[in-house]
Amino acid sequence: MRRAAGPEVTPPRDGPPAEVEATDLAAVPLRRLVVAGPLVRVRLQPGDRPLVSAGDALLPGAPLLERLRDAGLVQVAAGAIEPDGAAGGAAPGPAVGREPQPGDRVDALEVTAGRLGRRGRERRAVGELLYAVDGHWRMAAGDHRQAVESPVAGIVRAVRPGIAIELALSGDGLPGAVASGEAARGRLELAGGPDAELRPGELDVGLAGTVLVVGSRVDAETLTRARAMGVRAVVAGGIGSADLRGLAASEARQRASLHELPPFAVLALEGYLRRSIASPVMVLLAALAGREVAVMTDPPLLVFDGADLALPDRDPAWIRVARGPLAGREGRWSGRAGLRRFGAGVQLEAGFVRLAPGGHPAVVPLADLQRFG
Amino acid sequence: MSSQPRAFFTLDLGAATAAAALVGHIGGRWRLLAAAAGPAAVGPEPLLDLLAGRLRAADPEALAEIAPRSSAGSASDPADWPRLVARSTPPAALAALAASRRQRLLLERAARRAGWRVLGASLDESDGLALSRLALSADVSAILVGSDEPPGGDERDGLPELIALAGAASRRRPDLRVVLAGGATLHAASFRASTPAGPPSGAEPAAPGGSALERIAGEGNGREVLLAAGAGAAGGSGRSEGEELRELLAAVRSRPDDARRGIARATEALAHLFDRTVETVEIGLDGGLRSRAAPAGEAHGRVAARRVESAVAALVPADPDESVVDGILAWSTVPLDRYRLGDRLLELRLAPWSEADGEGALLRVAAARAALERLVAQSPEIEALPPPDLTIAAGGVWAVAPPPVVALVVADHVRRAGTTQLALDHARLLGPLGTIEDDGELRAVLTDLAQDLLAPLGSLILPAGLRAGRSAGRLVVHAEAGATELDLVPGGLELVDLPPGQAATAELDFRDAVRLGTRGRRFATRVSGGLGGLLVDLRDVPLRLPERPERRRELLDAWQSALWTGLRR
Repeated sequence: MRRAAGPEVTPPRDGPPAEVEATDLAAVPLRRLVVAGPLVRVRLQPGDRPLVSAGDALLPGAPLLERLRDAGLVQVAAGAIEPDGAAGGAAPGPAVGREPQPGDRVDALEVTAGRLGRRGRERRAVGELLYAVDGHWRMAAGDHRQAVESPVAGIVRAVRPGIAIELALSGDGLPGAVASGEAARGRLELAGGPDAELRPGELDVGLAGTVLVVGSRVDAETLTRARAMGVRAVVAGGIGSADLRGLAASEARQRASLHELPPFAVLALEGYLRRSIASPVMVLLAALAGREVAVMTDPPLLVFDGADLALPDRDPAWIRVARGPLAGREGRWSGRAGLRRFGAGVQLEAGFVRLAPGGHPAVVPLADLQRFG
Repeated sequence: MSSQPRAFFTLDLGAATAAAALVGHIGGRWRLLAAAAGPAAVGPEPLLDLLAGRLRAADPEALAEIAPRSSAGSASDPADWPRLVARSTPPAALAALAASRRQRLLLERAARRAGWRVLGASLDESDGLALSRLALSADVSAILVGSDEPPGGDERDGLPELIALAGAASRRRPDLRVVLAGGATLHAASFRASTPAGPPSGAEPAAPGGSALERIAGEGNGREVLLAAGAGAAGGSGRSEGEELRELLAAVRSRPDDARRGIARATEALAHLFDRTVETVEIGLDGGLRSRAAPAGEAHGRVAARRVESAVAALVPADPDESVVDGILAWSTVPLDRYRLGDRLLELRLAPWSEADGEGALLRVAAARAALERLVAQSPEIEALPPPDLTIAAGGVWAVAPPPVVALVVADHVRRAGTTQLALDHARLLGPLGTIEDDGELRAVLTDLAQDLLAPLGSLILPAGLRAGRSAGRLVVHAEAGATELDLVPGGLELVDLPPGQAATAELDFRDAVRLGTRGRRFATRVSGGLGGLLVDLRDVPLRLPERPERRRELLDAWQSALWTGLRR
């Protein structure tokens, strides 16, 4: 496996930018290459314990939450509720003189019915209050917890127990199309060029802790192997929905066995079909090789610190054919072509794209094109 | 439009498609001057530039005539001209919570037919933790708790728990809309006691008319709780079961300038204007609409309307399951395996305008067919009515489909014995025009635009009850250009060339009695031409297709190819 230098990536320039009318280019769908300070969400389930409060500043590796892996519904007596001593100031709990509220983390006496109407066993349970009926609270509680660390740096915007933690990130984000798994962090490694496809046999434990960029497509077998080898995240051009379902099922099985899994994420930059990674994206990924990055899943993002990143100037007229028969090809915008007839007699607004320097421009439907901003 | 502009843009901003049209006041009436559609991701501004540019190139004098003048007397920039905008309400999910599975299914059906994406759970299938997870899910923006009125034996014990659960969720998520229906409304006081009082947040749902909204104003306070009759409640004054709840749920979901609501209003105005029964079927990326309006009352002074809006009828539902994929596969003329098709559909959701030509166009038509099939299944009360005088196809899904194929798709799926005229909302005007609040102003604009508003697709004659055999009878079409005579072969689809603007009389003489509006052997009906001509559909009602995929594809391809110019396979 090539690991040292990664693929050879040429900046997408084939000469000085020609004069291109801004109004012409505005008709081409824009793909945002980098989002500064993105907002992301880490979803919580009832019973999960947030370890941060709104306004907290986070660094990568800081404790973010505790996931409750075996959440169940327990009934507790309203009169025997105390704040959860372990919750500290981060998670909400009933303050002195305040009635307990939904979402509070408490330590309470669990009430279970005994046989033949006798009093059942009693034990203390720690969890999250859900709702109260007939003088008893229903609570989400369990015994197995897993600590989750923040994969990113940023400020906590909001903590909504049972719903989500919202973060304003201090870095930049490269938006993807599809993501799955749990947000993860690692050192970015390029395992192939934009068109490559990684085989499971090419993965070994030397890649543990990395965020691996694998090329045009990744399948479920490779993902399973990557997770087993300690890879933290996989980034590819495309991933099929069946492969995503396979990965989710595999994770659910391991979770059901209460086996503690390190976070693992997968990010598809282009979509669900095999597709090469766009060259401006590849230039960015090549510049990030060896650096710490994170993959967030809601929304799908590759997060990085771009403060000292030196990137070549981008040609505003650089165009990628994102879909259709010429998908993956790139070139320079040469202007609008008007309404043109394409396959099956369909008439579409089109543009000229010079796919090879000096060659004839190709006529491509505008909707199949992407420009980068 | 408070002042009297001489030109305005209409914009229908959907989830996938942005459609723009330029309407100008020329020769004493409003005229459609230009129209175009493109990917929603690009935004409307390039479209407006394109329309103004096209008019400038084709008829600069007309542009000069309609252009609003600035105070200095110069023509203003078209980007500053008035706009009439309708937008698709973003897809939203509703959690339907019930004590029993039976009630959950009723609630889910009502919510689904009000345009919601529905996630349901009941206490007899899951516990309070699973229901809490659902209610707190960030994907959910409303909760519906309902029961029979009075609550059934399988619901009484669980209702207090559901009310407490909904109250707790509302307390934690003030952005949640909560609707109590049927017997659950008896617990409204308990619900309010469990949530902090507060002023209404956000916009009040717009009134669709009917008692549901009166009850909102009288008993709810916007954010806290909305009350409605149960999903199984019999509707009064000719309304169907659960209609009141459905209307309330639709009003809670829609934004004031909602495009589908506009289409339904415009359909009603057209029914009044033409004094004809009008039905509109609309398919978009996130949902579909079936709206029917018929003149009613003394001297047809009012319009009786029904509408069903469904997220199930989306071109590609948000998370297409196997049934959706299989449904599209069944109508596809492209041989694809299930997994490949599933990925293509998800790609279609990511970039709805990409690969709109070639095989992509065929795939879109197959997806549109399956969506229309789901819409028809969601609206049985409309399907049970006689065919309308005019059937309109609307929505972004038809933006790049050949008009004759649109006629075929409608004929394949909205199959009721009778004759109907087919038309296409080609410039996507119905939604924006339907947002004109004043009924009189709306009818005046529609009267002016009646000739431009709809692209005529043709007429459909669809008899039912034909006996199998070599010939079922004869058809003679008397048009201006002469008479055309055809043998009526059961199972066939006959096409008669009848261009737009031409009217004709079709005489049908069957060997045996058939149903065509009424039951009989001889019929004479007026038909009008269109881009698809006259379609005489002698196939089964409902349409039956071969079980074998290859044979099925061949048959669909044969029908489609006859109407799809430029299709080379």
